[in-house]
Amino acid sequence: MRGVNVEKATLWLVCAACFLTGCGDERSSAQRAAGDGVLLIGNNQEPQNLDPHKATAVADGKIISALLEGLVRPDARVEGQVHPGMAVSWEHNADASEWVFHLREAQWSDGAPVRAQDFAYAYRRLLHPQFGGKYAEMLYPLKNAAPYNRGELPWEKVGVSTPDDRTLVLRMEGPTPHLLHLLLHFTWYPVPSHAVEQHGGMLDRSSAWTRPEYWVGNGAYVLEQRVFNDFLSVRPNPRYWRAHEVQNRGIRFLPIVNGYTETRMYFGGKLHITNNVPPEMLEMAAHRAPAEFCRDDYYCTIFYRLNTVRPPLDDARVRRALSLAVDRDMLVQRVVRGAGKAAYAFTPPGAGYGIDDSAERRRSQKARVEEARRLLAEAGYPGGKGFPTLELMTTSRDVQKLMAETIQAMWSEELGVHVEIRSCEWSAYKAAQQNMDYDISSSSWSGDYLDPATFVELWKSTGGNNCTGWGSPACDAALDAAARSADVGQRLLHLAEAEQIMLRESPVIPLYWSERTYMKSPMVSGWYPLMLDNHPLDAVRLTPAPDKP
Amino acid sequence: MIRLLLRRLGQGVLVVFVLETITFFLVRMLPGNPFLGERKLPEHIMQQLQSLYGLEESAWVQYWNYWKNILLHGDFGPSLIREGVPVSEMIAQAFPVSFLLGVLGMAIAMAVGIPAGMLSAYYRNRWPDALLMCVAMAGICIPAFVVAPLFGMTLGMHVPGLSVAGWDDALCVVLPALTLGLINAAYLARLTRGGMAEVLSQDFVRTAKAKGCRPLRVLFVHALRSGLLPAVSYLGPAFAALITGSFVVETCFQVPGMGLHFVNATTDRDYFLIQGLVLCYGVLIVLANLCVDLALLVLNPRLRSQGSA
Repeated sequence: MRGVNVEKATLWLVCAACFLTGCGDERSSAQRAAGDGVLLIGNNQEPQNLDPHKATAVADGKIISALLEGLVRPDARVEGQVHPGMAVSWEHNADASEWVFHLREAQWSDGAPVRAQDFAYAYRRLLHPQFGGKYAEMLYPLKNAAPYNRGELPWEKVGVSTPDDRTLVLRMEGPTPHLLHLLLHFTWYPVPSHAVEQHGGMLDRSSAWTRPEYWVGNGAYVLEQRVFNDFLSVRPNPRYWRAHEVQNRGIRFLPIVNGYTETRMYFGGKLHITNNVPPEMLEMAAHRAPAEFCRDDYYCTIFYRLNTVRPPLDDARVRRALSLAVDRDMLVQRVVRGAGKAAYAFTPPGAGYGIDDSAERRRSQKARVEEARRLLAEAGYPGGKGFPTLELMTTSRDVQKLMAETIQAMWSEELGVHVEIRSCEWSAYKAAQQNMDYDISSSSWSGDYLDPATFVELWKSTGGNNCTGWGSPACDAALDAAARSADVGQRLLHLAEAEQIMLRESPVIPLYWSERTYMKSPMVSGWYPLMLDNHPLDAVRLTPAPDKP
Repeated sequence: MIRLLLRRLGQGVLVVFVLETITFFLVRMLPGNPFLGERKLPEHIMQQLQSLYGLEESAWVQYWNYWKNILLHGDFGPSLIREGVPVSEMIAQAFPVSFLLGVLGMAIAMAVGIPAGMLSAYYRNRWPDALLMCVAMAGICIPAFVVAPLFGMTLGMHVPGLSVAGWDDALCVVLPALTLGLINAAYLARLTRGGMAEVLSQDFVRTAKAKGCRPLRVLFVHALRSGLLPAVSYLGPAFAALITGSFVVETCFQVPGMGLHFVNATTDRDYFLIQGLVLCYGVLIVLANLCVDLALLVLNPRLRSQGSA
């Protein structure tokens, strides 16, 4: 009897061990998921909101783009190229200030038709003065959108009209030849007005329509499940107008904040695509899986803001000297291990735009430092004598702290200028920056859409995100001229003129243009380098490869 | 004894109330607010958002409303970052994960730490003692953010079945629990050794040995009960801390527990979520301490007599 019990116990133990270790299936999580047709993507952080009118984070935008579709949709391979989305065709007047979109016959995931009124409802909701839309400014190119958002005009005055269910007319503040690029941003997507009304109405910020059980969308996927800090899963939307093109049976977005954990998870067979390989792991990742390691250009500038209201930074010569003394090439090597490009202009080159910085690139760092010393002496601080100690504010991120320490040493050695580093956690840092309670502030800016205006318009003297106290009538005039220009080439010239004026005055020190470093499994196809990192996920395919992670 | 417990419970309620009150005012004194983002919000939108969540009111009015909503409606408020999601839902989703991890971690800590401490005390000032205490000291000194990635890269990558990070299969819990368990085992080993060493040098133990008791009997029957008292006092708060999550371990192993919420809520100024988490943590600490008091009453007859007196 006793022997039988031992045998039974052993059997149970073996069964339990087999169950726990999954000895029947030795494939990694990524291989199993690929077999099931489920794509596993590292998505940087827990999404804040899936409502396109409340979301602001990049991580939210990636998921929203899988769940909702705007008038146009992006190309998977060619940056900036658009294809018909909910709009089957469109036309505009001579100066591109009025656009007419003709909508296709499409359905929401609950079977209701997608109507032009859903777009108008969405724009009205985001701009509504009582809704508190954080990204309402994205719709300001629409005629009278800004005054409506401030409660100064009624909705009827805003340049949105719907002559019928399938026609949407957008009247803009001025010529907007780049409107199609703007439309790729999630703030221009429609929302299911019937579902929003059913769950609290237009102005209810706690509306439940974005919960998995109530989700209604018109994109390639529908929301399936969400577990905070664990995963968010989506499955194909059978009512999507291109449903036949969607081959994956689902996507799991994993909110992995820590790049080290994420990279370890990739090599442990837990992910198909990661979000970020941290600088310290670049060499290891590139060496260990060179074919899977990706390094793409990213539409993002890392720079320092200078508070031009406070002396001595109110003197353009001082600002210029500080900028010249920074050895960008060394910075890129030391701080991000080469994953970036030294920046001598603010806007990253792309979209047919780029400031000619070849002369600056050819110049030796020694010559730059000599000019910096001369400018500083002219400003009354020869060899840094009498220069007050400034405060350099950064976030608590390791990369930013290392960057601050490197630049601190450069300024001290080359100019005799001393700065103290103040490392703040995120909210305190943003509050100080937006209230201009800083001397020098570590900053970054990534483009919302592929157009230089998303960078250059930052430096409008009245721009809320300027945060340097700098403004120039000449720069404002060039930006206004760009806004009035219907000619694409002329518009870019005006924007370049505005940026050149800003660069001469140096209210900021451009440091480098970021690159995105991440891992991509060989099982994944249809994912190409895109500067905005806005990948249409319906185009991404999975091919299970049992012998590879 | 019941009176003692009721008194402790009353003190606990007061502690939680004071903790929650201090937290309420402190978080509102921090620079920034929940609506700060990469882009600066126009003033009218900032005001709209503040008034929507009653944050434009004075701190006292907010404080009054906070307790009113909890006591009358059982409403802990919404997350200000993940708008539309109640704080209670976020905690309810994360707590079971942290609880499971905490229980396993504590089980490992007790299974490793207490025997190690007993052995160490038994071989006091001899090589097993030196070796064990050396390892325990290393366990205390090496922080979790070193141990966790080390386990992930060594065991997680190379031992079949174990997971480098993530929360997608049954064995995912092993390495985070091991990390939490071994760190606490180090503390427990030192506390147990201290308690046992003191008891083993007392007269009643010497008497037991003189009467011919076998060493193991002396250790387990005569000394263990009293020797464990310092370790038991440590277990309560340690257990509460474990089941409310560890930010470092959860980040390193991508565990969707309470620790991540704690740190993110503070960084993002998600006021109601911070309040909810602190309340949860406070209640658990009070309950854990109450359990410790009960355990001490069982283990220590002198406390029982004091309690009844």
